[in-house]
Amino acid sequence: MQQFIERLNTKFLETAGLFDTFKVKNADHFFFSAIAGMALFLMLFIIIYVFYVAYPVLIKVGLFDFVTDAAWSYGSSEYGIREYALSTIYLTVLTLLISVPLGIFAAIYLAEFASRKIESILRPLIELLVGIPSVVYGIFGFFILEDIFRYHIDPFLDSTLGVFLPIFRDTNPNHGFSLLLASTVLAVMILPTIVTLSQDAIRMVSKDYRDASFSLGATKWETIKNTVLPAAKGGIIASVILGAMRAMGETMAVLMLYGGSARAPVSILDSGTAMTSIILGDLGSHFNNDEAVSALFAIAALLFGMEIFFVLIIKLIGASYGSSKA
Amino acid sequence: MDRRKLEENIFKGISYLAGIISGLILILIIGKIAWAGIPYINWYFLLTSENETPGIGGAIGNSIVGTFVLSILATVLASPLAVGLAVYMKRYAKNRPFIKLVDFCVEVMSGTPSIVLGALGILILVFYLRYYTGGFSLISGAIALSLLILPVIERAAEQAIDRVPKELEEASYALGANKWETIIKITLPFALSGIITGIVLGIGRAAEESTIVIMTAGYSIHMLSFKIVPNEALINGMKVYPFQALLATLPITIYNSYHYPTMVDQGEGFAAALVLIAIVMFINLGTRLLLRRRRIG
Repeated sequence: MQQFIERLNTKFLETAGLFDTFKVKNADHFFFSAIAGMALFLMLFIIIYVFYVAYPVLIKVGLFDFVTDAAWSYGSSEYGIREYALSTIYLTVLTLLISVPLGIFAAIYLAEFASRKIESILRPLIELLVGIPSVVYGIFGFFILEDIFRYHIDPFLDSTLGVFLPIFRDTNPNHGFSLLLASTVLAVMILPTIVTLSQDAIRMVSKDYRDASFSLGATKWETIKNTVLPAAKGGIIASVILGAMRAMGETMAVLMLYGGSARAPVSILDSGTAMTSIILGDLGSHFNNDEAVSALFAIAALLFGMEIFFVLIIKLIGASYGSSKA
Repeated sequence: MDRRKLEENIFKGISYLAGIISGLILILIIGKIAWAGIPYINWYFLLTSENETPGIGGAIGNSIVGTFVLSILATVLASPLAVGLAVYMKRYAKNRPFIKLVDFCVEVMSGTPSIVLGALGILILVFYLRYYTGGFSLISGAIALSLLILPVIERAAEQAIDRVPKELEEASYALGANKWETIIKITLPFALSGIITGIVLGIGRAAEESTIVIMTAGYSIHMLSFKIVPNEALINGMKVYPFQALLATLPITIYNSYHYPTMVDQGEGFAAALVLIAIVMFINLGTRLLLRRRRIG
């Protein structure tokens, strides 16, 4: 190998013209640059190609109309994703409403109250939730939770809160697939992200802050509420954004549990169709229709754009968080 | 004072409750799946190929083999690129904007919704390149999955290279080794366990993915086979099994119990789920132990 590299080296020195243009100092430099260049090209290609395929329909319909129109039809080439976008937004919001309080309090428990022994048992249990594939979460919700929601939780919510709050009304008592079911399962899926990253953020807070708070007479909870959580804010927000990203992009479990109605849900016991489900459901059967492919890629581009936006936000938080700690 | 004590106790209680609930969820889910799936698990179910049983379902031997082959091939495709990129980023790259660009791309890729990669896979690999890939096939699935796990391995490799002590490399340079020799003989061997951890994590990540696989590898009830069959629709006029052929994988076996509820028993779905969870958890626990041992040693 070494001789080969040396021979390559002399080869490069001989072809000095090439040597100067690419500024390749050695064969090893060239070797790793080539790999890095290839990897970077692949990643950039993916990011750009999604928007490139989506471009025709986004230009034709216009981004604003694409997001706000309710009609979606390949026959009359009407492309408006309002219902699907709303379905996805409701799904993400309800998932966060369930998962964030549970996750942050669990993180507080692990970081502040749990003994080392209990923490060393509980944390792996929560982390291993990541190891359950989303398709397994899907059939778990489909075969096991759906029954429970249909016969117990849905009627209960409908008959108590639903009496005076329309968003708890059960319009379709014949099945349990609903915004609430999908959100509950998604909340479990993103729980490990929120718990582990929040716990790390809370643990990173300097002990001096806590001691200062205690010495002023604050109780443990007051210290956590007024000192620790504000100091760990950046990390906690980043964990919530990562959770939201995962909830928004999730396909398989949502496809199985959201119910698949064409309209966005008006109650948490209604069903809907997420943006990811429509891509998975329709893309395979519309290859002969360039515009349909473009429209479906426009949905993917929207999801991808949101993801890139979130990544930028996390980077900004990380930057300000890092500088305030330094 | 009493109000403060009360608030303290309430929130302490909520935190305890949240912690316990979060920990119990895993036991509850695994327990319920095991309860439903274990009665179906036996050697016949695990080792027989699905085409030897009547209809679909009945056995998952083909899917277990397919899952391993697909995720390992995807990792084999991704690892050289990922490790090479990591070495370049940590030991060669000098240009700040370039480093920032690559970092940003890796970060975006690592959070990419799998439906986006699946959509690209089905359009480019399965449709445009079907003359080469054979449409839904092992090679399409492996390429699409390799893009999913590229950032996983790259991040792990970067961290592993970061942990290599500078003194070791300086000693190597002091002995007259050039950069290539130092990287091949000092840096990479020292970072090897971290890189392998990343690669194994990549295998696990590829094994559990369902969306991309269903959009690129499809499903087959046959055990994967090694043969070459004439086929005019493909490059060189032949179809190379298993690379250009449909492939069975566990996530899709599980999906089938949802998709064909009348043909596949749901218990079989849970049994397949249990096997997949066992594979993925084994990988996760294994890498965790690997990491822990290194931290102590």
